[in-house]
Amino acid sequence: MLAVSETTGDEPTGGARSADGTRIDEWSECLRLIAENQDRAAFTRLFRHFAPLMKAFALSGSTLSANHADELVQEVMLKVWQKAGAFNPKKAAASTWIYTIARNCRTDLYRRLQKFDTPLAAEDVTGDLESEEAFMALHQRRSGERIRQLMGELPNDQAQILAKVYMEGKSHSEVAGELDIPLGTVKSRVRLALQKLQIQIDR
Amino acid sequence: MSKFHPDLDLLTEYSAGTLPLAQAACVSIHVNQCDHCRRVLGQLNELGASLMESLQPEPVGDEQLNAVLARLDEETPLQYERRAQDGDNTPAILQRLMRGDFSDLSWKNIGAALRISYLKTGDPQHEFALYHIRAGGRIPEHTHRGGEMTLILQGGFSDSQGSYHAGDFIYRRPGDVHAPTALQSEDCICLAVLDAPLKFTDWRFRWMNPFLRLRAG
Ligand SMILES: [Zn+2]
Repeated sequence: MLAVSETTGDEPTGGARSADGTRIDEWSECLRLIAENQDRAAFTRLFRHFAPLMKAFALSGSTLSANHADELVQEVMLKVWQKAGAFNPKKAAASTWIYTIARNCRTDLYRRLQKFDTPLAAEDVTGDLESEEAFMALHQRRSGERIRQLMGELPNDQAQILAKVYMEGKSHSEVAGELDIPLGTVKSRVRLALQKLQIQIDR
Repeated sequence: MSKFHPDLDLLTEYSAGTLPLAQAACVSIHVNQCDHCRRVLGQLNELGASLMESLQPEPVGDEQLNAVLARLDEETPLQYERRAQDGDNTPAILQRLMRGDFSDLSWKNIGAALRISYLKTGDPQHEFALYHIRAGGRIPEHTHRGGEMTLILQGGFSDSQGSYHAGDFIYRRPGDVHAPTALQSEDCICLAVLDAPLKFTDWRFRWMNPFLRLRAG
């Protein structure tokens, strides 16, 4: 399920930053070009990188048909085009911003398929993380980088559970049922993993 | 600033998009007012993104790319304003669900101190309701057959486990018994999300139990 993504020539440059600390990786740059110039070439580059990941994300829940997975890929990429102006590279990595769009689109698609009649879209109940202060944004970017580095060090059982929760979109109790382990074990594995990634509530 | 927050389990499910709609709506209102939870949530979203980036990519053909390119000139769908209007600190999502303000809602009286207004989220498993407790009023002692999420919007209340104020988020697991009493100083309005009906344990109110159906949807 989890694989090391292939490195190609056009991967983002990772650590590069402009003077004010903003990420200047390729994907943020693509989003800027789309927002400012409706740049289709930039969109195409973004599509070739992210659409295959979106499709993998759509299929990892395993309840969506291939047609619905394709529909989801199109919908996510179209939203990325339409909303590129709302992306702020100071606040999140391009991939994090795209992930939240994909997650919301998938939730909405699930609800549509279940004939859920609701006035609310998943986006409406997504926390509004925009109003962060500059230092919060910096903190955010650093922890994003740290999380990416530490992911590789997670033991398999913990990485597997995180993938089930995030990529397959299963609740903790669904994961417990599927792996035939107690709910408490699922929760403690998730917590251990978050601890290793240094994600915690420090209050 | 809130003192009581959703725990890490809830925030994780929220960030993974697996919380039921009514619960997610309740958590979102707290998160929007809480720097603490916003920060944790930002990190959890980074985690989701990093998991997504490490998936084995599935091939997507050029016909898919062309299909999207052909749709780029479509009209962008209308967006709802997510922020609450100026001068009104009712959370935007409640403003939408209420279609008006608190005085326009239809309320159901439960005893002298409490009235409840049910809002429609479309979540078939959860009741999503506003509780208005008169200042100093006490909700009859009750237990929870299921989980109960409470978010205090205005005022505050106390029960045997503590006292809670605007912005606080409380999650009670099935079987917890309590009898919240609103603060003396002002009326308390809170949002409650239930997955099973309450059950009054106070003998004077037990007769109501058969009538307490879950109003989900
Ligand atoms: Zn909080």
